[in-house]
Amino acid sequence: MRGFFKSLVTVALLATALPTAAQEKTGNKPGFTLTPGTARIVLMRPSIRVGEQSTGGMFEPNADWTLQARDMLGRAIGSVQGQLGNSVVDLVEPVGADASALAEYQALFTTLADSVIVYQFFPGNRLPTKKRKGQFSWTLGPGVASLPGLKGADYALFVTTDDQFGSAGRKAVQLLAALGGVGITSGVHKGFAGLVDIKTGDLVWLNADLQMGGDVRTEEGAQKRVAQLFEGFPGRPVASAAGQ
Amino acid sequence: MIRMMGATVALLVAASPVQAGNSLIAPGAKILVAKSALAVTPASEWNKLGARPGRNSESWTLDGDGLNEITFYGGIPDGRTLFREVDKRNRPLPKVSGTMLITDIPALLESSYRIALNTPLMSIDSVEPARFAGAAGVRFTYSYTRPDSEVRRLGEARAAMIGGLLYMTTYEAPALYYFERDLTAFRQIADSAAL
Repeated sequence: MRGFFKSLVTVALLATALPTAAQEKTGNKPGFTLTPGTARIVLMRPSIRVGEQSTGGMFEPNADWTLQARDMLGRAIGSVQGQLGNSVVDLVEPVGADASALAEYQALFTTLADSVIVYQFFPGNRLPTKKRKGQFSWTLGPGVASLPGLKGADYALFVTTDDQFGSAGRKAVQLLAALGGVGITSGVHKGFAGLVDIKTGDLVWLNADLQMGGDVRTEEGAQKRVAQLFEGFPGRPVASAAGQ
Repeated sequence: MIRMMGATVALLVAASPVQAGNSLIAPGAKILVAKSALAVTPASEWNKLGARPGRNSESWTLDGDGLNEITFYGGIPDGRTLFREVDKRNRPLPKVSGTMLITDIPALLESSYRIALNTPLMSIDSVEPARFAGAAGVRFTYSYTRPDSEVRRLGEARAAMIGGLLYMTTYEAPALYYFERDLTAFRQIADSAAL
């Protein structure tokens, strides 16, 4: 039962000896390529939450900030959607039981991306079975194909952002720790964008970082965050990506 | 306040997995687990996580503990908790009793999870007698949801009281896809348990 301790491990990965450069941020399934103009991608409703990080590191949600971020990030995603090299369409939101199934898959994607970061992107903490050369084997399972609104599509694009701004108490802990020679972060700014093959449920591309830039409550910050989320998006024309 | 901040700093440093190191569990070999005499023989490979939930326990996974996790509890003695305290002063975990009946074990796990995860969404779904590690024991299933995630998790466990010590193994994974995928591999490991 390490569930509770997992969040501490994630924070510790950020806070302790590992330099930022040690963390990988992008993974591709071996052999996966996407030619521009060949695939139909469905953008799942982004999972966005914003709040404060308490002194002890716990998340305290803020509804106003979350609403602002949904609005800003929604606009920023909309502005780049046409420049990703392939057709990227919004999912038609389901209702009832279908909405519940969709929410479960969105939550599973966030858990999957968390796992990729902790157990693959940090080489020092990588699982031995994930160390084999060129390996990137992660999946949501084939049940993804049964989700509503994905008929005729090739890939599902999942996006998660989780922003926890450091409270005054947290910043004080950071200062105290620094005086003791220990590096502790104040605030979490996670962002994940992942492409899932609808036929298999396999994660074919993931861009994920536990410390992304951009204040998602502002227009400019949201644009910066979205540019980071879609950095290296498969099949994206190079000129367009560079223009972001 | 300063004391609490100091404790937070200490906890973060102590939780560092950097020194821990995850290791490969090779298939086919008998292996002692949880720093105890409890032995299992897995038919397939697993990863042993460097960080332990408690002194007499260890966790194995295939894709990370959020996606699949087997935990072994190797002879937890009277007066000890299943895993490390989360908030001992305000929310102490229940303790193992050397005179516990096997039917008390699922309730111990349930209350330990409710307290440690701070969730009311934890329930024992079935309980039945079953042998474990060569002794009369119990098999039970459970489900829970953590307060910070909408992922519903299912679990299955085998346990027995042997010589006044609690021996148990649990397996848990998201209800979507993962639980069913690795359930057979867990049952094979649980069936192979011996003292």
